[in-house]
Amino acid sequence: MRTRILAVLICLWCAAPANAQEQSQALTADSLLDGSQLQEIWIHVNATDWQQLTAGYLEGTYYPADLEWRGLRVSNVGIRVRGRFSRNGHKPSLRVDFNRYVSGQEFLGLKSLVLNGSWQDPSMIRDRVSMAAFRRMGMAAPRESHTRLYIGARREYAGVYTVVEAVDKAFLQRTLGEDSGHLYEYHWHEPYGFEDRGSDLDWYAERFEPKTDSDGSTANLFTPIKRMVEAINDAHDPRIEEVVEPYLDLQKVMTYLAVQNFLSQKDGLLGDFGMNNFYLYRFDATSRSQLIPWDQDLAFESPDVPPWQNMGANVLAGKIWDSPTLRAAYLSALVEVVRTLGTPTSGGGTCARPEGESPCSWLEQEVLYDYSQIRDAALSDPLTPYSPEEFERWVEFIWQFARNRGDIVLEHIGRLAPALPERVRPRSGASLSGSPRGPEGSAPQRPR
Amino acid sequence: MKFLRVFVSPWLRDSEIRSKRIDRPHAWCRHSVALATACLLLVGLPAAGQSQSSGEGTKNSISASEDTVRWTFDNAPSVRVRKVLRADLHVKTQTDWRDWASTTDAEEPVFDLHRARVGVDGTFLKFFEYEVERELRDSSQPWRDVYVNARFTRWLQLQAGKFKVPFSLDELTGSMDLDFIYRTLAASYLAPGRDVGVMAHGGLLKGAVKYQAAIFRRGGENVRASEQTDPQSGRTTAGRIVVRPWDGRKGNLLRTLAVGTSFTAGRVPEGPYSLRSKSVAGDSLLKAFNVNGARNRYGAEVHWEPGPGAIQGEIMRARDQRRGQSIDDKDLPDAVAHGWYLSGTWLLTGEPRSGAVHPKKPLPHGFGAVEVATRIEKLTNAGLTQPPFTATPRAANLPQASDRVWTVGVNWYLNDFVKVQFDLIREQRELGGAVMSAGGRTWSRVFGLQFGI
Repeated sequence: MRTRILAVLICLWCAAPANAQEQSQALTADSLLDGSQLQEIWIHVNATDWQQLTAGYLEGTYYPADLEWRGLRVSNVGIRVRGRFSRNGHKPSLRVDFNRYVSGQEFLGLKSLVLNGSWQDPSMIRDRVSMAAFRRMGMAAPRESHTRLYIGARREYAGVYTVVEAVDKAFLQRTLGEDSGHLYEYHWHEPYGFEDRGSDLDWYAERFEPKTDSDGSTANLFTPIKRMVEAINDAHDPRIEEVVEPYLDLQKVMTYLAVQNFLSQKDGLLGDFGMNNFYLYRFDATSRSQLIPWDQDLAFESPDVPPWQNMGANVLAGKIWDSPTLRAAYLSALVEVVRTLGTPTSGGGTCARPEGESPCSWLEQEVLYDYSQIRDAALSDPLTPYSPEEFERWVEFIWQFARNRGDIVLEHIGRLAPALPERVRPRSGASLSGSPRGPEGSAPQRPR
Repeated sequence: MKFLRVFVSPWLRDSEIRSKRIDRPHAWCRHSVALATACLLLVGLPAAGQSQSSGEGTKNSISASEDTVRWTFDNAPSVRVRKVLRADLHVKTQTDWRDWASTTDAEEPVFDLHRARVGVDGTFLKFFEYEVERELRDSSQPWRDVYVNARFTRWLQLQAGKFKVPFSLDELTGSMDLDFIYRTLAASYLAPGRDVGVMAHGGLLKGAVKYQAAIFRRGGENVRASEQTDPQSGRTTAGRIVVRPWDGRKGNLLRTLAVGTSFTAGRVPEGPYSLRSKSVAGDSLLKAFNVNGARNRYGAEVHWEPGPGAIQGEIMRARDQRRGQSIDDKDLPDAVAHGWYLSGTWLLTGEPRSGAVHPKKPLPHGFGAVEVATRIEKLTNAGLTQPPFTATPRAANLPQASDRVWTVGVNWYLNDFVKVQFDLIREQRELGGAVMSAGGRTWSRVFGLQFGI
């Protein structure tokens, strides 16, 4: 695989003039987050502060720093360690707040950024690929790219980090067209799946952290969430849509579930230990909310799991599954996900395989593209807890997942609903081995 | 008298550091009204003692074992063992009623018993003086002055223990002798306060020149709590010299004029340990920022007590190095803070102002002594007065922060033991050259009741 990738990289280097030309253009947040190239970000931070930040990684203390990217330097930003179960002091994930010390300061229109150290992901690409999948399905999801991160006055290489767009007002405005509603970040405390917890608003307050209007009263902030949960619990077939729709767009919920189940996300809305890793945004002047994915670095768990794993462990998903109408709608959403992400007609290029060149799915192409972009940087990552062999092995696993997951999901669906549309039927003779190639026989190209 | 007490105040009773009270805004006692009432009731006890004592013209001896142990009550309960030991018991309380504008403290006007101390001082053998004082309301640092002073000669005495670093006249003035309820901002936040050390001191030229030279274990208690516990805190040396050019010349109006200068030199450990700067109400003017290296202070003072009036002024300057503190590990410009004040008092009842005030006609036989006082002061953290400035801990371009304070007050000395004070305080806080939008100009009123024996 390394030989193949080397050829890919040579071709990428040939395209360097195009990159130089791009640099002359005005830099935007899209330039940073569109993933078109491996970025280089330099965090200027005092050596003592970095030492204290890593030693006290559990504290979440902010430290002043400057962030430099492509010659742009934004001063007096605040950095702190972020994350929960993945929080560590060896290769810490960072939150960068541009307006921590300078009120109103932005960088490329962004108020903050997340630099994810991929502590739990040996491949370093799972989160980025997952978010790209959500976006491809028309869901609001953060943009992500990869960067070589340099730290301190000596510009020491700190490894490959994922640059993640923060879910904040700027994100809401960009993706949903408004930012005056109410945004909450869900915090996992125990297995929970929308069960009704009664009238105790403090229970919700502990789990749904307000991100855009933290100074509101408890009643104003959390009564709408309580009512949404009550509606979910009170809804029964055939009136589920009628009762729940004022609070959640069920079609979008089903697409959300379908993407996560397609990607075998074990730490998402249908996680093995209850719901996790999402934001909830309630639109302004309405009771309707939307789910926004976050931290998908435990996706790609297993290609073989049924795409309705843990549906019964969540009140909302369980009711969708138990309703014949909604189950059919969910399966349709799942088929649409497979068609869009996981079939050779889903927009990927071609891949070279032992049996010859054949079309790649969008997902497969995305995996190969990201891998080729970060490979050298990842193999020289001084702080990753994973060996180069583990990195290669995990990427291989995810690539195989991407190649085969579509067929496997369709097979599962086929057992439930044999009469699938022609366009999503499994490929015959799909192989689990082969080599990736771009559409022109060279580098993997960025999927459209 | 006051000159002597101020100068040697490290081995006399000492004061609470105002910041400790402000740092614990919620520590005010709900029962303080009752305590204040109790203090007022206590007025009668010493007053009665005074009356009896003055009537007899001798000290009030309570015990009869005159040859060995004697109990007396002159200005304070005292026990004396021949000429070997003298131990005077002291009790001090101060209760304040505050009504001030604070941007961070939303409390209603409160009563606050912020000083409740007991202590013992005295002498033993021929050469030694001592003092032990404990603040009952401070569990973290309850011990105030704890030291022994050895008097070898008038020009050389040695003092060891915990006492105030000899810097700033206002800081060295005992809390019961302050002309205002609160110390100046400069003394509260630029002077180092107490620490453990050794000091040589004495008087030269028949007392016209007094000196203090000391070395302390760390940089004083009047710094951020985190700095006090930082093991990298270094030693501090300090020196102070005060001259009274016309001392002892009777009839000369300038005989009480004293001028002095002082310094401290030490090391501040690396960290967010910049000197504090707060308003009278305790609101921070500037957040902590990183420093590292030398910390030096310089001060000059003047004090004059012509008749019933008194004038006092000081200027102080503190400079902290910021070595290797920039984002890129380079040196930042030194952080400089300075402060000054000028105050004046006048005893309307005509008592001469020589150190502590002793009313000619104390209660209950008279009205006591009444004094008016005024003070202007300013505390400044030097910085930029024009943008762009940034208030990050490692910023080179910190904004200038300052607080200019005018105080007008009335002091009523009921007798030698009880003092009632009222201060009206006007503040103007500025940041970056502009008056702060929140709490920039404020009025505060403080009513204080002191009791001390």
